[in-house]
Amino acid sequence: MKKTNSSVSIRTKSVLTGWSFVLLAVILIFVFYFYPMLQALILSFQTGTGSNLTFTGFDNYSRLLSDKTFITSVKNTFIYLLVQVPLMIVLALFISVLLNDSKLKFKGFFRTAIFLPCVTSLVAYSVVFKYLFAGNGLVNTMLLKLHLVSAPIEWITDPFWAKITIIIAITWRWTGYNMIFYLSALQNIDSSIYEAARIDGASASRQFFGITVPLLKPIILFTSITSTIGTLQLFDEVMNITKGGPGNATQTISQYIYNLSFKYSADFGYAATVSYSIVIMIALLSVIQFKVAGDKNG
Amino acid sequence: MKKGIALLLICLLMLTACSSNSNSNSGSKNTGNAAADTGTAGNSATTAPAQAKEITIWAWDPAFNIAALEVAKAEYAKTNPDVKINIVEYAQNDIIQKLNTGLNSGTTKGLPNIVLIEDYRSQSFLQSYKDSFYDLSSSIKGSDFADYKAGPTSLDGKQYGIPFDSGVTGLYVRTDYLEQAGYKLADLQDIDWNKYIEIGKAVKEKTGKALITLDPNDLGLIRMMIQSAGEWYLKEDGKTPNIAGNAPLKEAFEIYKGLTDSNVANVHADWSQFVAALNSGDVASVPTGNWITPSITAEASQSGKWAIAPLPKLTANESVHASNLGGSSWYVMNVDGKETAADFMAKTFGSNVEMYQKLLTDIGVIGTFKAAAGGEAYGQANEFFGGQKVVSDFAAWTEQIPSVNYGINTYAIEDILIVEMQNYLNGKDIDSVLSDAQAQAESQIK
Repeated sequence: MKKTNSSVSIRTKSVLTGWSFVLLAVILIFVFYFYPMLQALILSFQTGTGSNLTFTGFDNYSRLLSDKTFITSVKNTFIYLLVQVPLMIVLALFISVLLNDSKLKFKGFFRTAIFLPCVTSLVAYSVVFKYLFAGNGLVNTMLLKLHLVSAPIEWITDPFWAKITIIIAITWRWTGYNMIFYLSALQNIDSSIYEAARIDGASASRQFFGITVPLLKPIILFTSITSTIGTLQLFDEVMNITKGGPGNATQTISQYIYNLSFKYSADFGYAATVSYSIVIMIALLSVIQFKVAGDKNG
Repeated sequence: MKKGIALLLICLLMLTACSSNSNSNSGSKNTGNAAADTGTAGNSATTAPAQAKEITIWAWDPAFNIAALEVAKAEYAKTNPDVKINIVEYAQNDIIQKLNTGLNSGTTKGLPNIVLIEDYRSQSFLQSYKDSFYDLSSSIKGSDFADYKAGPTSLDGKQYGIPFDSGVTGLYVRTDYLEQAGYKLADLQDIDWNKYIEIGKAVKEKTGKALITLDPNDLGLIRMMIQSAGEWYLKEDGKTPNIAGNAPLKEAFEIYKGLTDSNVANVHADWSQFVAALNSGDVASVPTGNWITPSITAEASQSGKWAIAPLPKLTANESVHASNLGGSSWYVMNVDGKETAADFMAKTFGSNVEMYQKLLTDIGVIGTFKAAAGGEAYGQANEFFGGQKVVSDFAAWTEQIPSVNYGINTYAIEDILIVEMQNYLNGKDIDSVLSDAQAQAESQIK
């Protein structure tokens, strides 16, 4: 009898201790995550400028569907998503396999070099890219000197090339980040598997598609979901390199939210609605990615 | 032991969480920017209820607005040595963000006493946050300033802003390029934009230089053109979009296309590239606000090569050779210390003719205070511009600027127009360009 009593009290004690640790995080999460999210949801049902807000029900949501600027922003964002994310993931996979080669010398140097872009400040690198790709910038000067083009390419002021510039910039910045995930996963693959494959006569590409890719599947899923989320929230690069222009050619959804809140006349209600559209899109895309690529225990 | 640490952590958290609610604390919990120092203005109010001892001002551009504030600060210190004035420099975009978030949060903490707001945006703030700005009707008279400044700085018959710099425009030209092309400055005195393009073609042919530099993301040129004809993106009520059927706007679009089609325009992407294009001698002219003067004169090697002609006009009969681009005004926030702030503004920018002479000679600020234009500094010749009395020219043009109601949606509509402008340049018909823009503006502006 005495024994059970003490065990209960120990259990209660440990539960209490556990909660006192978790409580801190729980309070912080409620105050800084759930409360603002709820506030934003409430805000998304209000319209008006600045502090003159009135409840207008689903007005903002119906406005969303007929808003050309919003639709353009969504289109642009999805162009980045469909072109850049696959490009980056294939590139990261390719580089990581090369860097994982046991015969490669100066591995540390190459890994650092490719990872280095990920630790640079978003704004700083964007500004550097803006100058590199300016009309009389380094890229154009080089292309002209090498006689690859006859006239400078309007990287930033032409709608098509501006998108390409943004894609080049985000690929440069994020490929190394994804590469690190693949590299760590590759190091967990037992080299004896490859050895066995080689003995059976499998070519390098057969090994890559038959062993490496299937074994990296969970990591590929993870990186594609995080990259998707990152791209849907793309802001810094576009804001600093092209400001969304020319016209709305490079504007992303996040930048549209910024414009609605601060560039135009402080329409925070509608900006919150647009923010929630991103939440919905991310949720839907993540579900789809899980269904397509994930397995049951993944 | 572990429990003890946990408890300590929780206590710490509670303490920091609570302290943000207390209003007596003036030290560590500040938001991290210098502006939070305004808290002290509230503190001193307890000892001296009528007059605050300290006020904070937010502005952008150290070479222009901040420099002007420093002059005003020194001027005010002569009569009020006990008032401490903090001048805080932020980029204009940062001020807009800080103001919007501050005013929206419902707390006046962290807001300045005086803030500089661009005229295009001022109504958006005045109307969106009523009661957040202090009525200055008893401190200054709106009619003492250039007429076109009345629209942006007042609301419902009350004067909220102290009109500051003039955004009066001129056509800055390289006279050496003009001469090579067979023109003189006198040929630019009473021209319309079509003639301007014609001259540009000759300049391009003879010198290889572009006539003008354009940023596809900035329709400042269009704004200047339509204001010169007394029109705006909105009707006079400041609410109804005025795009389809707006004859000056249509003509402005056609001129813009004319500039790009005739291959006389250079393209730039941002401010630094803009200034670089001027200073490197790549372009022969810039139609823009007078605030560009310091940037142009910064390239001392081009002294004597520049001159300033009146802005070309539209063929629409309403159009004049004067317009406005940019320009901003001071606003006093309705927070503790507002009386002191209003007093500071009234005694400096609101009345001090002598100070305006100093602003002009030292910094190059052309104010909009009417009485100041009579001062001697306004009549001086400028050697950089070949001895031209540029300031008295600008002052004369300032009086002709047609007054329009900018409303609260200038930049929202402009973003719609920027897209439609691209469509127009790519061959879309002008009337459908304008009617599509009208439809989109109507659905977006409510």
